[in-house]
Formats: sequence, C-alpha cells, structure tokens
Amino acid sequence: MEVITPGIYGIRVHVALCKSCGLCTAYCPQQVLAPDADGIPRTPGLDRCIGCKLCEWHCPDFAIEIVAPGSEFEDVATLLPDG
Amino acid sequence: MSNTTVQVSLTLRDMLRADRLPTTWCPGCGLGIVMNAILQAVRHHGLLNDRCTMVSGIGCTGRMSGYVDMNTLHTTHGRAPAFATGIKLAQPDMTVITVMGDGDAMAIGGNHLVHAMRRNIGMLAVVVNNNVYGLTGGQSSPTTPLGGHSTTAATGSFERPMNLEALAAAAGAAFYARSTVHHTSSLVKCFEKGLAVDGFALVEVLSNCHTLYGRMNGTPEAADMMLPMDAATRRTTPILERRAARPVHVTRQGVTAGSALAHEARVRTDARVRRGVVWQRAGSRDLSHRLRETLDPAGGDGWR
Repeated sequence: MEVITPGIYGIRVHVALCKSCGLCTAYCPQQVLAPDADGIPRTPGLDRCIGCKLCEWHCPDFAIEIVAPGSEFEDVATLLPDG
Repeated sequence: MSNTTVQVSLTLRDMLRADRLPTTWCPGCGLGIVMNAILQAVRHHGLLNDRCTMVSGIGCTGRMSGYVDMNTLHTTHGRAPAFATGIKLAQPDMTVITVMGDGDAMAIGGNHLVHAMRRNIGMLAVVVNNNVYGLTGGQSSPTTPLGGHSTTAATGSFERPMNLEALAAAAGAAFYARSTVHHTSSLVKCFEKGLAVDGFALVEVLSNCHTLYGRMNGTPEAADMMLPMDAATRRTTPILERRAARPVHVTRQGVTAGSALAHEARVRTDARVRRGVVWQRAGSRDLSHRLRETLDPAGGDGWR
C-alpha cells in the first residue's frame, strides 16, 4: 500500500496560462489553494497537499501542475509566445 | 510513473501546440478538461501524434483541433464524421478522433453522425454536451433539458431533449460511454476504452457552459455547474447488471420443487443518466478494415 505523505509535493502555477476560473480552488480537498487578488491560485497550505492531482486534472488551461518529489520537469514558459 | 499520470509540462511539450495557448475558451470551460483527457488517453495507448487525426466541426468544441499537435482538420458545421469517414477509408491504420459539440453532432450534423454509426466506421467520436449552443450566444440546442432557460427559450425550454444513447443503439454504434468533466479519471478511462474499440465508439461528455447556460439558470460559476454533476448522474454497475440478467438458482437437497436465488442482485435504477461504459456491442468490425480485406485479400498495399 502506498502511504500518502502530505507536504512533500510542489505545485507550479503557470501564470501566463491561468484564467482565474477558480476550479482548482473549488476542487482542492485539503484547502491547499487560495486565490490572490487577481484570482491566481496561491499555495498557503502547501504542507497539507496530498498530491491527488484534482487541481491539475480539472484545470482546463494546463496552468497548474503537481510536482512529485524527485521528478524533473522543464519550465513551460519557454514554450509560450511571450517567452 | 504510470502512463495516465502525465505532467502538464510534458503534455504541453509533446502533444499541444503550446504557441497557440492560452485557449480562446471562457475561463473554467470544460473543453480544456476534455482535451486534456483525450491527450492522456492517446498517450496511454502509446499512439504517435502523426498516426492520429483529430477532426472537429464548428462551435466551441471545433476549436480543439487547433490546439492539439496531431494531424488536425477543422471542417464545416456538423460534417466532422463525414470528413473522418473519408480519412479512415483512405488510411485504415490511422486513429481518428472526432470531436463535436451537442448542436454540431445532433442538430446540424445529425445525419452524418447517424450514418457514420450505421457504417460502424472505426473512430472515437467525442460529443461534448453542454446543453446549449455556446459559440453563437446560448440558443437552445437539441439537448437543452426541459425547463432550461436559454436565449431562445426565455421562459424555459418546452421541447423534449434528444436521447443520444438510444439513437446510437438504434443506428448501430459499437460502443457507447458517458462521462462528465467532473469525473476526470472516468473520462480518461472512457476515452481509453473507446480508442481500443474496433468500430464506432461514441463517448458523450457532459460539460458546462456556465457563461451562457449557467448564467441563465442560476449557476454562473464553473464550479457551481461541475460539482453537482456527481449527484446528477449514476455509475454503471456492469457486474451487478450481469448478475441480474443471469441469476444463479440454488436447489436444496431433499426439496423436490422450488429454488432460491443464490444472491439478490441490487441494481439501482433511477431517472438519472448513467456514466461509465453504458454498452458495448460484441463482435464489432471496423468498416475500413473489412473494406480493405475485401479489396485486397492478400493484405498488401495493392488495394489503393
């Protein structure tokens, strides 16, 4: 059985893609995410994140990403037209 | 890492035209979730991008073909199944994914969809059902529920909505599944199973149009429309249904007449629509493969 350890995950929000729809905040079961003044999700409760990926799967704009510990990923900012 | 858990940065890099992002869809539109799920299912099957074709019609859903990095075709209104039929007949080994909205598939392209299902041409047809014509300003579509308010039904729709499930069964589709943008995991599974079908696989996705339909019906936020989808649908229970269809009778020793059911199959039934694989026709064969075998029984390339 896989043991879920809260707080070992990282969350990346690609601000250039985010449209502030609030779906990730609504779906988060651990209240990790909270919108800032512009509606962009921030992570005040990152130590509670269980890596369920509900935010990632429900994001229509590919703007939020759960980063498992030890995983390597490349920054998407270089792919977008504004750089 | 299993194939179904795909990191966003990888999806963007491999399967999307990232320079086209962000999408033109409204904030919170379920179409992005559907696109994500389709790409995850394609990746799960290990299909190469240049051996897949996405065909789309007109409407908000029609925009999807502009964002995925496959062979893509943005066709005329409702005619996506017709174009896809041509692609599949010319290239039987191509994986063809047709994405349509509810108005695109059932109203304008109703006959194209019916005859693609009748021919059982091998494709995955995705019908994104958001109950309304989204792109043109929220007019009633064939799936607007009874009493639902829209631009052309200000006092509530009084037409009976269309039953795509019964239509697909009557027309002869090989596979019918339904999911919602709330159940993303089930959505990916439905696409994965649909891509594996030898024949016409239809997946209906219940989606949200909160900016038009939701605003006129009291749910102006995306989450307000998505979260109730769980209670508005019920899961298919294939094992229980099989048990109920073929009950096991137990006869007791010494009792000359009568038998008892070994178990009681508890199949929940109510008026809610089912989500999951609703039915799958056994022994289905793809028309394009049958045609190629008829034209060239030796199995070469001479049929062209």
